[in-house]
Amino acid sequence: MFLNSVILVLQEMIEAALLISVLLVFTHLFQRSWDKSFVLRTSWVALSIAVGVLGAALYSYYTPQISEMFDYVGQEILNASLHLLSLLLVCLLAFIVPSAQLAKNTMGRARFAAFCMTGIVMFSIVREGSEIIQYVGGIAGQEENFTPVVLGGFIGAGIGVSTGVLLFYGLINLSANWSFRISLALLCLIAGNMGSQAVLLLTQADWLPFTPIAWDSSSALPENSIVGHLMYALVGYEATPSILQVSIYLLGIVLIVISPLFRKAWPQQQSLVGKA
Amino acid sequence: MKKYFLTPLTTLTMTVLLFSPIAGWAATAEIELIIKDHLFFPATLEIPAGQKVRVRIINQDPTPEEFESFELNREKLVVGNGQTVVFIGPLEPGEYPFFGEFYPKTAQGVVVVK
Repeated sequence: MFLNSVILVLQEMIEAALLISVLLVFTHLFQRSWDKSFVLRTSWVALSIAVGVLGAALYSYYTPQISEMFDYVGQEILNASLHLLSLLLVCLLAFIVPSAQLAKNTMGRARFAAFCMTGIVMFSIVREGSEIIQYVGGIAGQEENFTPVVLGGFIGAGIGVSTGVLLFYGLINLSANWSFRISLALLCLIAGNMGSQAVLLLTQADWLPFTPIAWDSSSALPENSIVGHLMYALVGYEATPSILQVSIYLLGIVLIVISPLFRKAWPQQQSLVGKA
Repeated sequence: MKKYFLTPLTTLTMTVLLFSPIAGWAATAEIELIIKDHLFFPATLEIPAGQKVRVRIINQDPTPEEFESFELNREKLVVGNGQTVVFIGPLEPGEYPFFGEFYPKTAQGVVVVK
């Protein structure tokens, strides 16, 4: 019970923690240009966590009702909607952030970026958090399970948060250019993953048609291995994704690649190309 | 003759015909999976190959459970004393293990596709 709850809570926590780290790296990188903006310090993180936890509590309270909606696929529809909304916000963020330095209305844009990030983190916490609450709430209720589940949950949460902190400090200690490029690459994969997860959920709900699997890498890297779990949390790795999932994943990457944020990542190459 | 062959209407008809077996116009079959005392009943679900199946999961335990399978790419929460539905397939013949993520020690099962 103890080990199981460590793994389960860690699995949910690590996704949100890695997402927050990547977004915080962006905040950190753009902080100079947004120096006067109180919104972009860290208050958006606190706000999104607070509202996210509240949302997760509400979600898990109403799970029995939500679950029965749309002929028992309400959870899939709600989760897929949250994924798609997050994807939209990630794209808006990628389009709005780089212009913050140049635009006249810096403060307004900075606030808009903070709004996007708040939404992304909030939705992620609602999704992952509601599952943790369901698990801990449902199982710790039995007396013999209380101590191992709660203790395991805290340890899982601790490892998840530490991994996020490690990623954050690892990234900001690189040169500004590289930390920007790597977090941008991670943002691409996060966007792709959000789209892919939404497709998977809608297929599971029978709202999207079945498509054959694109590949099977379950023997090379099983999903239930430690590396597999980590890769799932970080880039949404799946051993047997469907063709539609892979297509939407690639579309998510393309959306970020064509954003102005990506152009900013390679200014020198851009100007070289321009000269040639 | 060639110009009649790939008119938009022909192409559309051909596409629809090509995908119709996948779309499954026939009513989707439903099977029941019961969770009791953190065990799945039946622990082996037999389904035909190449067909989409609606699995109705009925949780008779007061605790929630999560139906999960890496092989089937499925993950679904079932509240305590509640029920839910998961669509699986169409699948190739083979064995697809699943488990209850909240009680993985006991809640184990397999979908056998024939």
